[in-house]
Amino acid sequence: MSFTIATTIDEAVAALAAGARPIAGGSDLVVGARHGKVPLPDDMVAIDRIPELSTIDRAADETAIGAAVNHARLMTDPRIVEEFTAVADAAALVGSPATRNVGTIGGNVMNASPAMDTGAPLVVLGASAVLRSSAGERRLPVEELWAGPGATTATPDELCVALAVPNAAGRHGSAYVRLEYRRAMEIAVVGAAASVTLAADGTVAAARVALAAVAPTIIEVTGLGELLEGQTLNEATLDAVAEAASARSQPISDLRASDHYRRHTVGVMARRAVEAAGRRATGEQIAVPVNRALGIGAA
Amino acid sequence: MKPESIVPVTLRVNGIEYSLAVGQGRNLLGAIRNEVGLTGTKEGCDDCECGACMVLLDGQPVNSCSYLAVQAEGREITTVEGLAHGRDLSPIQAAILEAGGVQCGFCTPGMLMSATALLDRNPTPSREEIKVGLGGNLCRCTGYGRILDAVEQVVSIG
Amino acid sequence: MTPPEGAITAHHVDPVTLPRFDRADGLDKVTGSGRYTADLTLSGMLHAAFVYSEHSHARIRSLDTTLAEQMPGVMAVITAADVPDVRYTDGAADRRLFAKDTVRYDGDVIAAVAATTLDQARAAAAAVEVEYEVQPAVTDLEAALEPDSPLVHPEWAEYAAMDGVVRERNIASFSSIAKGDATAAMDDADVVISGRYVADASHATPIEPRAVVAQWEGDKVTIWSSTQVPFRARTGVCETLQLPTNKVRIIVPHLGGGFGGKCGFHYEAHVAALAQAAGRPVKLVFTRREEFLAPDRRREGMIVELTTGLRADGTILARAGRVLLDGGAYMADGEFFPQMAAMHVAGPYKMDHCSIESTLVYTNRQPSGSVRAPTAPQGCWAVETHTDELAAASGMDPVAFRKLNAVDEGDEGCVGQVYNRIGLQTCIDEAVAAVGAPDELPHDEAIGVAIGWWPSFPGASGAVVRLDEDGQGQIVTGAQENGTGSVMTLRQLAADELGLTPQDFQIVYQDTAAAPWDAGSSGSQTLINNGRAVVAAAGRVADQLKDLAAAELEASPDDIVLADGSAHVAGTPARSVRIAELAAIAGGGALLVASGSEDPPEYPEVEANCIGDMGVAGWAGPQFSCHAAHVRVDPDTGVARVLKVGAAHDSGTIINPLPALGQIEGGIMMGIGQALTEVTHYDERGNQRNPGLLEYKLQTSADVPDVQVVFVEPGADGVGPRGAKGLAEAPNVTTAAAINNAITAVIGTPVRQLPMSAERVWATANGIDMRDGK
Repeated sequence: MSFTIATTIDEAVAALAAGARPIAGGSDLVVGARHGKVPLPDDMVAIDRIPELSTIDRAADETAIGAAVNHARLMTDPRIVEEFTAVADAAALVGSPATRNVGTIGGNVMNASPAMDTGAPLVVLGASAVLRSSAGERRLPVEELWAGPGATTATPDELCVALAVPNAAGRHGSAYVRLEYRRAMEIAVVGAAASVTLAADGTVAAARVALAAVAPTIIEVTGLGELLEGQTLNEATLDAVAEAASARSQPISDLRASDHYRRHTVGVMARRAVEAAGRRATGEQIAVPVNRALGIGAA
Repeated sequence: MKPESIVPVTLRVNGIEYSLAVGQGRNLLGAIRNEVGLTGTKEGCDDCECGACMVLLDGQPVNSCSYLAVQAEGREITTVEGLAHGRDLSPIQAAILEAGGVQCGFCTPGMLMSATALLDRNPTPSREEIKVGLGGNLCRCTGYGRILDAVEQVVSIG
Repeated sequence: MTPPEGAITAHHVDPVTLPRFDRADGLDKVTGSGRYTADLTLSGMLHAAFVYSEHSHARIRSLDTTLAEQMPGVMAVITAADVPDVRYTDGAADRRLFAKDTVRYDGDVIAAVAATTLDQARAAAAAVEVEYEVQPAVTDLEAALEPDSPLVHPEWAEYAAMDGVVRERNIASFSSIAKGDATAAMDDADVVISGRYVADASHATPIEPRAVVAQWEGDKVTIWSSTQVPFRARTGVCETLQLPTNKVRIIVPHLGGGFGGKCGFHYEAHVAALAQAAGRPVKLVFTRREEFLAPDRRREGMIVELTTGLRADGTILARAGRVLLDGGAYMADGEFFPQMAAMHVAGPYKMDHCSIESTLVYTNRQPSGSVRAPTAPQGCWAVETHTDELAAASGMDPVAFRKLNAVDEGDEGCVGQVYNRIGLQTCIDEAVAAVGAPDELPHDEAIGVAIGWWPSFPGASGAVVRLDEDGQGQIVTGAQENGTGSVMTLRQLAADELGLTPQDFQIVYQDTAAAPWDAGSSGSQTLINNGRAVVAAAGRVADQLKDLAAAELEASPDDIVLADGSAHVAGTPARSVRIAELAAIAGGGALLVASGSEDPPEYPEVEANCIGDMGVAGWAGPQFSCHAAHVRVDPDTGVARVLKVGAAHDSGTIINPLPALGQIEGGIMMGIGQALTEVTHYDERGNQRNPGLLEYKLQTSADVPDVQVVFVEPGADGVGPRGAKGLAEAPNVTTAAAINNAITAVIGTPVRQLPMSAERVWATANGIDMRDGK
């Protein structure tokens, strides 16, 4: 058994190659172990003190969000709030200040919970996970990373070092909204993220919607292009979005909600996400998180 | 039961270093309560859901029940016992007593750590920001009103 | 704040202006030095873990602890075979410390392990081998009463039970209240409305999970326990381990909240027996999961059916009802629940005819027991939802309907009790004023109003007050401080009797060896009963001081006044002597010490024609409240949010307003949780599905609405010092009902299930049948 603290990506990757598991804030790992889901790994490497993992780097066409960037920073960093607003919306809804302080975007993504809040925003923003191993680096669109609840297609020796998100261009806005029963310490009953780009005439040039907690992984609503492109966002088109989202969802019944209710409300959330993203695309400032600003869920 | 690997760790709690040997999987809460011997930090859920175990790690709030002791190596840990300066209570400690925000007192240590962190990052929070800032600390006694007032009192005194 | 004779006063509370309340335990609690039971460590102390049933109903075929006993660090493993074969509990002797032949719910304890570390204890507990023969589980309240239902306690008829408990088969306790002839009167009514209301179970959920530490010294045992009721816990230990009271000492360190969840006798004897078997001190600390699953204190699920007949003018003529309460696997203190529930579903209304039949049903779920105002929030929610339906049917405004029908001074209620001067009508006016209804609300917002009531519980209680040689005081009391501040307030009562300040007193409390008996922090009784004892004891010390001062000042004791730390002759303040000087004199002589344990006030007699009368129909010091809740409902999702609550309470004279405000605000927040997010889910066999704080959702600080509290003080009918009534439970009664009436006003149909979860609100609004609804 071993526990090491890595200070560089190379050290961390070497530890992974030797069979260690990465631990950032550790809350999912520690709570999960206590609930008997998965025991704590024998060999762990701490990755929360690697400076390269905690940067947000904007290059010409994309921004790399370091895997160890925590939710507290995601919800306040001006570049995230400005350009990747749905991610900030989602980060601001996670747990409490303490969990937002400890939880990281890389930890979220690699934990692969279908109810994670930051996942749907990353999908609609076209993000890829940057995976590093001793064999080199590869990129995987996030939707190809998630294989099921708690399962990814990454190999055990791969470290998620960043989420690469294409920079927004033109009249673009994004938003994440979720259904919640209380205003803190909540987990998504259902959630929806939307990304909307408007043409000069105000019609929709491009739109994507992804859904949380209604399938074994985060899923994207397909066929939205035909539904929305060239259209304005109005009651009829937003109704169509809600209908498409409900139809795409494959929810289960559990303690938090029945499948029936989830199928309905994920449509409501999708509609509200597209509406908020569309308004943001026009330049309207809607404060993060949308849930509070627009009185959604328990807001 | 597999024998747990015992590893050395140095924890710096309220300015004092403690050289300990803890199980690799031991949480920070257990190390603080049982090894360091400071029991002001409470365990309410063991689940990251109630905030009774909250401590500051380099000034940031952390639920110590769900944080490994070995990960805190070299970081500055502050517990409720570290808030007062000698016999002088910190402003939020004094205010929570004054405002009637203490009943059973079990959530109080975590609540004080959350409020301290909130006021450190934002010395003039609005009522809404205070409500959200303390959102990870469950209290069953007070209905929160007197606790929120206590934080507002500190803000207004400045 | 004692109001003048004959006037009911209403005080809208502004927290900033309230007098500061100096908690004697405050400094200890904010600095982290305060010790709760789980914080205690004794030399050589072992750690305990329990083996729980894996089934909600099964026979134990075999139980083998051999493997567990051989595990590393294990010092003792005990089962039913290792303790006296005694059945215990409050209302009926239906339970053993360890399940012997049969397990009846998923938290039944089968064995206990003590080991040198907690990990070792848990590993050994997991190694105890139990073979079960699974039995059919009783989980449906109505099916449980059918003649062909399996029985939770086949030998129930042979158990000892409290006098007067009406019982048979799965009926744990039955009560009725009957006045007039409700059946006949319905025929004369102009309007008859019926409704069925179903409340799910919920939990007290104190933030401190319970803990017990036990240590033997020779043949005596000291037990530190997170109990609200140390003397009741002692009784339980004495009964089950067959010890005299003076060999068992229960001490409560600081208690991290209870809300009834820590009432009753819980695990003190298990840990004492383990400590005896191991020959070492033993500590048990519950996980949150255990705190949800095991204790016999759960807020009972309830089915309420009500029919009310109205006259054309909107007055209530008759009410008939049936109540089924989910008692769970053992009675605990639930024997009075049926009668209490009957009172709550009848409500604080005038009516000539009333007939309620109420049944506590045994099931294979966790036992129900007194959680803050047992049966009242659910009963109030049912009857007050029903009341808005009645108001609508008679074409009346809900507030006007309540004003017309609610009891006032001189009125006779549902069991024939005629009320003294009470503040209910004032509460209605003031709560509505406090919520501040604007003329027009958005279509998704509304204000709902509800009224509720709750008794005070006079009872035996004792305390000792003394002044030591420097004039500083000690109050030694068996009362239990669970956080409300009621024990802390005893300093104020003693100080006022003796012309001293609260800061002149310390309190030794919640130690059964040190102090006289008290019922503990249950039934909102501490201040009214232990306050009476402290006032009496302090009064006797005052007499002793006056005798001493009279000798010093050459005056008559009758002319001595105690004030500002001195004794002086009435009318001539200059002829005075410091109380500290008198205390020094007494310190070399007769000492200044006295006890108080006066007879409690009596309960009113009522002619309720009750079957199964458990003594909770005639109420002493009845408390009343009205809550008005301003709520917004998201029509597309059913999510409701409470924006503001106006809460007016007649809990008699308010002795200490800041902690009183804390009780009401805390009760409201708990009520909002019960209304919207708190529910315990079960599988079809009665096992709890959400024993954790992620899926059992308490309200957070981020959910807090604006709250305006109003103290309504009638200046009469109190049963405690200065006209005080109880207080701590009443604030938890009325909120959920007010919220449903607001939701109903928005969506047009009442939600007939509690909690009114978002899914249920949405389904109700859209007419969707929700068999699987959450």
